[in-house]
Parts: sequence; structure tokens; C-alpha cells
Amino acid sequence: MTAPHRSPARWAVALTAMMLSAITLADDANVLRYPAAHEAAAQPLEIHGALDNELMAPLLADFHARYPEIELIYRNLTTLALYRRFLAEDEASADVVMSSAMPWQYQLANRGHARALTTSAAQQWPQVSRWRHELFGFTFEPVVIVYRRDALEGATPPDSHEALLSLLTHERQRLKGRVVTYDPWRSGAGYTYATEDAHMSPRYWELVAALGGVEAALADTTGEMLDGLADGRYAVGYNLLGSYARDFVADHPQLEMVIPNDYALVTQRLVLIPKRARHPETAERFVDYLLSRQGQRVIRDKTPLGAVHTALDGEGTARDLRQTLGDALHPIAIDPSLLATLDTLKRHSLLDRWQREYTRLSDSGP
Amino acid sequence: MSPPVNSPSLYRRLLVWLLVPMLALGTLMLIQAYLASRDTADRAFDRLLESASLSIAEQVKRQQGQLWMDLPPAALKMLASNAEERVFYALYDAHDNFISGNAELPRIDDGQGNMRFANIEWHDMALRLGVRRSLLEGWRDRQPFEVRVAHTREGRAALTQALFQGSMLRLIAMALLAIGVVLLGVRMALMPLTQLRRAIRARDPRTLAPLDLTLPRELAELRETLNELLARMRRVRANQERFIGDASHQLRTPLAGLSARAELALRQDDPRAWHDALGVMRGSADKTARLASQLLSLTRLNNPESMPEARDIDLCDIARQAIRDALTSCHRAGIDLGVETPSHAVIQHAVEWQLAEALANLIDNACRYGASRITVRVGEAPTRLEVEDDGPGIPEAQRLLVLRPFHRGIEGGQGSGLGLAIVDGIARAHAARLTLAPAQPNAEPPGLRVRLHFTEEPTP
Repeated sequence: MTAPHRSPARWAVALTAMMLSAITLADDANVLRYPAAHEAAAQPLEIHGALDNELMAPLLADFHARYPEIELIYRNLTTLALYRRFLAEDEASADVVMSSAMPWQYQLANRGHARALTTSAAQQWPQVSRWRHELFGFTFEPVVIVYRRDALEGATPPDSHEALLSLLTHERQRLKGRVVTYDPWRSGAGYTYATEDAHMSPRYWELVAALGGVEAALADTTGEMLDGLADGRYAVGYNLLGSYARDFVADHPQLEMVIPNDYALVTQRLVLIPKRARHPETAERFVDYLLSRQGQRVIRDKTPLGAVHTALDGEGTARDLRQTLGDALHPIAIDPSLLATLDTLKRHSLLDRWQREYTRLSDSGP
Repeated sequence: MSPPVNSPSLYRRLLVWLLVPMLALGTLMLIQAYLASRDTADRAFDRLLESASLSIAEQVKRQQGQLWMDLPPAALKMLASNAEERVFYALYDAHDNFISGNAELPRIDDGQGNMRFANIEWHDMALRLGVRRSLLEGWRDRQPFEVRVAHTREGRAALTQALFQGSMLRLIAMALLAIGVVLLGVRMALMPLTQLRRAIRARDPRTLAPLDLTLPRELAELRETLNELLARMRRVRANQERFIGDASHQLRTPLAGLSARAELALRQDDPRAWHDALGVMRGSADKTARLASQLLSLTRLNNPESMPEARDIDLCDIARQAIRDALTSCHRAGIDLGVETPSHAVIQHAVEWQLAEALANLIDNACRYGASRITVRVGEAPTRLEVEDDGPGIPEAQRLLVLRPFHRGIEGGQGSGLGLAIVDGIARAHAARLTLAPAQPNAEPPGLRVRLHFTEEPTP
């Protein structure tokens, strides 16, 4: 698939379409309900999250087991739908909002829409994973490279950005059309990773050019990329969300997951309690649970999301990743530079550049 | 006499006057320190707004006929500082149209220069807004635009607090030091006073020697005044001693005379001689008794502690009573004694017995010094008492001297030399003026008119 040349106007149309589809998606199939043990004394709690139900379910179940008096509703929305819904004043506000779209969550908190949480768990939460006690990163998910073993016979496996670049350059013919990465236009996550990558090193643009050189396919979600890798359409996937890839790769032995060892982006799901929350007490109890050792242990043991809590170690914790990767680990900072990624002009600049670099080799190539 | 009510001690007075203004000054300084801290914090953080807006402005360019900007993330990080502040930015074109940003920030109309600052309330948040006016540098057009940046004030508040706490601690330390210095200073400054007190207390109560003490100028005046007082007291004591000496001398002479006369009479056997001697002795004893009583009145008059009760009395009554008292003795001596009083009462606030004593003395004096006619007169406007005689009078040079005790106008006279001194004392006790003048200046003998003016001559 060749990336079409897009103008900002066309991009805006695409965005609107995406938003519309996101809102219609919010049907009852995406709602999890946990009724209270005693109907009479029920304390309601409504959580809106951009997190698949099956990832959320173990956490919610454990929370519900601990606090059976809370009547829990979890509504799974896309990141953009979540954001739009939040800003729509007439919508009844959720009590807790969780999303992997870090810039949007940051924007909400920056505008003063979030309530500060001052429980002891929140106070002790690591500085790099929070902002002002209003916004907490409760997962730790590296961005990874996944490749098929059989497709890369004889080549050096891409265990770093450097190695990936040289692989794409040297095996250009062999890999043509068989590389997949996020579409930075259509996917918020893809755009965020592109921004961070570009910020990490100017050589990222060489990588984009090389991706263009192999006519890399552009996908909207990690799931789409994983499916393509599993059925053999793609040989290499770049910038996949590690939390989804880990379990998938474990089920598919022909796939290999690599956390790049020169630098690995780490994305965090950010949770906040809106100021307009109708049930702030239960909301605080839930977020406190998310940040507590128990909640984090469930995240480590029953989900691939990665626990942040500093007291936890072993596989599936931030501590474990830090020990193996050290300085190469690069969590996306929860700071105002996230706002820069939301800037419309900035977005245009970056995507224009992306477009130029992506088409550079194919235009001038043989 | 009750002791005077003590006013607050000098020490306390000085402390109050030094410490209260110091406290007020300290409060002012604290307020000033707070304002200065706030200003400093604002200036420091305004630099951040300035540099952030500058780095954004540098990224603004013109592209496809529109303002274009590649927002540098570092600029926003700069604004957040480490206090995790909320940051806002916006790019506006020359016509105040929003181009890009994460918030629609207001403009600042007042102010000078390219960079303007203001504190604003925005969506329930207290923000510091910085607006940079800049020009797009181009080959052809130089389009103006505005970069507006804002952040919450937590970092400023924290810095203000930190700076203020620092100044407050320093101020408190300085205040404690100043209080210590004031306490010490006041104590040191009052030290000479303590020295003076000790020096006075340590003195032998009988000595009236001047104080010899090195003192600061203000207290040296006090010392001089004290020394003057002491000098006066020395003079008074010398006077008293002389008076006592004179008095005992005066008493000794008639007593020695009595003794000699008695001895002489005892050597004789003639009862007639005894009789004569007893007659002389009685006269002598009378004189001595009179002298003693005069000495007593003089002492009473000179005693500043005695405060005889004055009341309103009629001077005419006094004059008539004096005439009655002296009439017998004058009649015996063949002296014409008269009184001239107005027909109505002349009231004067005075001590009755003293005035009677004065008149008695004056009449007695006139008798003794050879007057043949004595007139006691009461006058009005001014209120006065006078005694006039036709005796030899007193030469002008003697008139002041006769007022001194034991001075006799005529050597060898019969008086004790106390009469006029007593009159003078009484006059002074009544704040009256005593004048001695010849009764008839042109006659011979001129006579004497002694006058007590209780009030001044009314001015015509």
C-alpha cells in the first residue's frame, strides 16, 4: 500500500469520519456492569476508558470483589470519543477517565478539568508517572518491534532502531510491502510515537524514508498489525504497543517481539478524576485502588499492561524493564511537550515532513 | 505630705519609645519584604514567559500565505518549570485572529514595549499572561503577530514564599539583635543616673559638701542645681549657727547681769538694798523674758515647716487691739498713743497673731527709741498697716541693716535688736512689702514711719 498524498483539508475530513465512527461504536457491547451486592446501599461509579474490556475485566473484577457495595459501570470508548464526550458539557460526566491518548488526557488536566487525588498511594506515586497529583500513569507499556522469524532468515534481527534501519536498507527488495507501522494520520498513538521518535533523533527521518523505500503498509491499530504478522502478510512491524503484542506473540511462536535496545518508547495510560465527577468518593477509591499495591499486582499478574508501582518487581513491571533496558527506556514524559503534539500547525508540519520523507525514496528510487 | 505618684520609670519610657517605633518599622519592613519577594518572583518567572514566547516567536514563519509555526516543546516545558504548572499558549495574527494554541488567551492593550505582562483570571484559574508582539521578518512584508503565553502562579507563589521566609528570618534575627542593643544601650545610657543616685545615697547625711562626680552634660546640670541647693543649705545653716550664737550671747549678758546683781545684793545686809536689787533684777528678768519670747517668735517665723493658718481678718480690729495692749505701758512712759482707722472694716487674709506681734514690736520699738507720739494707722488702696512716731528716725544707710537680727539702730539702746527683724519676717510671711521712711522728712527729729503694704499701689 502506498501512502496517498494528503492535504490538511483531507486530513480534517478523515479525522471527522473517525470521530463519528468512534461515537457510534459506543454501544452496549462496550459496557461492563458490576452490580452492587446490596441494591439498596449501592454507590455508583462510572468509568470511561480507552482500554479493551478483556484487559480491564480482571482489574474491575478484583476491585468489585474488594468493594462489593460499589455499582460499577465501565464504558469502553475510543480515545477520541472519550475526549469529545468529556468536553461536551451536556454529557453527564464519568467519574473516572482513563486513556492511552496521553496528549489529550494531559490537555484535559492542564485545562483544570481534573480533581487532585491526595491519598497516600497518590502521594507516593513516582514523579515521572504523574502530573500534579491530577494525572497518573498507571501502566507501563513499551513500544516494540515484532517480526516473523521465518521471514528474516539470514538477516540480523532488528533489535534496535539502528538495526531496523540497516535491515530496511539492505533488505529493501525482500521486504517491499512486508513492513507495517502505524499510520500517523489516522492513529493518535501512531502520531504520538512519530513525534517522540522525531524528537529522540533526527535519524528517525532516515527510518521514515527507509519505510517509504520498502513501501511499508500503514495500519490503524496494533491488533491490525499483529493479525497481518500472524497470517504472514507482514514480516516486520514497527512501533507496536508492547502490552498487546506480548500476549499475542506468546501465542504465535513464529513471531518475535523486540524492545529496541537503543531507545524504547514507553507509553502510559493516564487516569484522572474529572472535577465534574458525580461520585468523587467512589472515583477516588477506584483510582487509589489502581495506584495501590493490590491493583498494581493485578495489572502485573493478570494483564499485559505493566505495573508502575515501585514496590513490585518481576515480569510485567516497570522495575523489571528498567533493570533490563536501563537508560534505553524512554517513557513519554507527562509534561507540557505533550501539548505541543496537539498543536494543529505542529501536526501539519510533522505530518508534512513525514509525507516528504516517506515518499523521498519511492519518488527518486529506481 | 503624701509621696508623689511615680510616673513610669525612665527605663520603661525609653524602651517603649524605642521598641514601639521599632516594631512598627519592623512590620513595615516585613510588608516591604513580602512585596519585594513577590516582585522578584514575578520578575524571575516573567523571564520564563519572555524566553518561552521568544522561542515560540522564532518558530513563526509564513507559509502558503498564512502564519505558520513549528511549536518547540521545550518552550512549553520552560513555562511549566518544576512546579508542574498549567501552561497555555496561543498565536494570534495582526487582526487578533486565533491561529493556533491550546487556549484562546486575551490580549493586553495597556503597557509598553514588545513584551507585556498581566495577571488574569481565566476559567477560574489565576494566570500570569505574557504577550509578545513580534514582526514576521520577510523579504517583502513584515507582518505583525502576537505570541501569548500564560501559566498558573504556583511557582511564583512558592518562590515568593521561599524568598519571604528568608527575608523574614533575617529580619527577625536583626530585630532580636536590635532589641538586645536597645536594652543594653538604654541601660548604659541610664548608668550615670544610677551613679548619681548611689553617690547621693552614700553621702553622710550631715555633710553639705558639693557633689564631685563626672557626669554627662544633662546630668551635670542636675548636679550643679543640687550643688547650688547644698550651698544654700550651707548658708542657711551658717546663719542659724550665727543666730544661735548671737541669741545665746544675748541671753547670757542679762543673765550674767542678774547673777552679778544678786551677788552684790547678797553681800549687803540692808533690806532696802535688797529691795532695790530685786527691783532691778525684775526689770532685767522681764527684759530677758521678752528677749526669749522674741527669739521664739523669730524662730517660729523662720521655720519653713510651720504653716500658720491664715484667715480673713479686719486690720482695724488688729490695730485697735494693739493700741489697747500697749496703752498702759505708754501711758506710764507719757507717750501719746493714737489710732487712725477707716470707719469700716479693712479685710485682709493674714495670720492674726503675727500681725499683732508685728504691731506690738513696732510700738515697743518706737517707745524705746524715744518717741513721744505714736500713731497706728490702717489704710486702704493699697491695704496697709503703719506705725508712725516722732522719734529720731533711722538714717537711710541703716534702714536695711536694722532688719537683721541683733542689730540695733542706736548703739547702747534699750532694745534687743530683734523687733524689726521679726516685723520683716512677718512681712515676708505675708508677702507684704515693708518700707521704712521718715514720718516728716523736713522736721527735726524726722520721726519714722514703718509701713506694711499688703497690696500694691493701684495704678492710676
